Amino acid sequence: MPNQASILVIDDEQIMRDGCSRILSRDGCSVICAENGKQGLEEIKGHPENIDVILLDLMMPGMSGMEALDHIRAIDPNLLVIVITGYATVESAVEAMKKGAYDFIPKPFTPDQLRIIVKRALERRTLQKEAEFLRREREKSLRDIATEKSKIKTIINCMGDGVLVCDRDSCIVLSNPAASRMLKVSESSLIGNFLPQCNLHSELSMMIQESLATTDKSYSSVSQELSLGESGEIFLRAHTAPVRNDLGETLGSVTVLQDISHLKELDKMKSEFIAMVAHELRAPLAAVEQQLTVILNKMAGEVTEKQEQLLSRAKERTKGLLTLIKDLLDLSKIEAGMMVQYKEPLHLHEVVQKVVDLMRAEAEAKKLDLQFTAPPELSLISADRNSMEGIFTNLISNAIKYTPEGGKVWVHLGEEGEFVKVTVSDTGIGIKKEDLSRIFDKFYRVKTVETRQIVGTGLGLSIVKSVVDAHLGSISVESEEGGGTTFTVLLPKESSPTACGK
Amino acid sequence: MAKKILIVDDDPDLVEAVTMILESKNYDVAAAYGGIEGLQKAKAENPDLIVLDVMMPDKDGYAVCKELKADPKLSKIPILLLTAVVSKISTTRYTQQMGLETEADDYIDKPVEPEVLVKRIEGLLAK
Repeated sequence: MPNQASILVIDDEQIMRDGCSRILSRDGCSVICAENGKQGLEEIKGHPENIDVILLDLMMPGMSGMEALDHIRAIDPNLLVIVITGYATVESAVEAMKKGAYDFIPKPFTPDQLRIIVKRALERRTLQKEAEFLRREREKSLRDIATEKSKIKTIINCMGDGVLVCDRDSCIVLSNPAASRMLKVSESSLIGNFLPQCNLHSELSMMIQESLATTDKSYSSVSQELSLGESGEIFLRAHTAPVRNDLGETLGSVTVLQDISHLKELDKMKSEFIAMVAHELRAPLAAVEQQLTVILNKMAGEVTEKQEQLLSRAKERTKGLLTLIKDLLDLSKIEAGMMVQYKEPLHLHEVVQKVVDLMRAEAEAKKLDLQFTAPPELSLISADRNSMEGIFTNLISNAIKYTPEGGKVWVHLGEEGEFVKVTVSDTGIGIKKEDLSRIFDKFYRVKTVETRQIVGTGLGLSIVKSVVDAHLGSISVESEEGGGTTFTVLLPKESSPTACGK
Repeated sequence: MAKKILIVDDDPDLVEAVTMILESKNYDVAAAYGGIEGLQKAKAENPDLIVLDVMMPDKDGYAVCKELKADPKLSKIPILLLTAVVSKISTTRYTQQMGLETEADDYIDKPVEPEVLVKRIEGLLAK
């Protein structure tokens, strides 16, 4: 035993008390002695938890051993009592055992007999203590779990975001008031019901079912915007993730809902505001440019060389502003989701050919070699024709702008897996490494000596990227400073899984 | 005899500038500063061609175009729509579709380069 075992000897005979005390002390026990039952009980009452084993003589004057045993049992039924019986009175030993004594030892006994029986009792005592310790620990853990549970429940119920938890049979096992508020259903019609019976938004049900059904271990979570309400005026963003055990089996799924209606509203207001401002700015600017054009064409009389120079520059500036306004309008349209509403099966070859033909004059003016290559057969894509014309006009005119005289620009069409691939390469001034990652950002323009003379708004490439994104494609750029630039656009083929997916 | 062109736009500065371009090419120019006035002038002046702005406060270019094409006496007059809402990437399909429905004969983006405007007008008049 780690701590010193303490043993109480209750016997009226001095010899017995001393004998036991000597033998057990030698074994490392601390021994307390009592001359009679009454004294013994007082020792126990003081601190029963400090006494491990009691040696109790049955035959004592005054309070008998049997009577003392009853009292001891009343104080703490866990106390281990070994009764000492005189002259092999088996009956009294049996009676004591029936009353709950742990063991008995008949007088006279040898030191070894005493040691063995006490040792056994002490071992029993150790086990008893350990069991008690474990029981307390378990109780404490249960209490902790209960506290934790109630804490989590309170947190979930207080959350502004909606929470829905399903088990693997798609039965809703947990939801919070925010979820029922957002989904406009009562909490009682959620918890305990299976998904199909809950009449939830169909896309939401589908999302949850998919996350439960997926066996792909790398699948972690999906987010989707849902529109609810009679006229779709409520927007929710739903995040769904499967819950897995350590073997990777799906046990259920957790869905968190956020009400993003007000964000949508703000976003719409912002786009409308930009569109309004742009329209208001555009008309007067167009008039100004028109007037400048008339003067520059000498339709309002002769113009001196100096005046022409100044007016040409003024016209360039108004042109730049008009381009910025057009870009802003495009951007607000893309953001309002109005840009790519007219998807149709499209021959990209035809579209790019048209753009290249339109750009040819510009390229020739700069003595650039503009080439276009494409395979004889090319898969159709599903896209908005005007948007496609726009993005390739932008990419090719950029290539022409940033390539010095005598250089080369080539446009190539091809296929790559499920995608149609368009590359626009040039032998131009290239892009610095530190600028590469930011060229698709809104209003970002590379500022160098070479680009200072080139008019631009810094919106073109971000619009190109938005359009490509809206077509579920991708755009990438490779460039080396002074070594030319290549833009690669991938657009999903028509009816390829990527194209008809979410 | 010089061909007569009616220009309809609510922006007087733009009307003036376009008028100067057309007069320099020896066209006879009539001007109207709104959709309703444009319709009246079309009937009164019987022009050979109409340059018509889209965005006008009283009656927009589509509505004017529709009424002109519905009038048997005026339906033969070619119409060149002046579009300001055209954006770079999409050339707004909306505008085009609306324009097609109203049977405008051609479109041109404001502001215009004189050579381009004249070329388009000559093209329409030659038909």
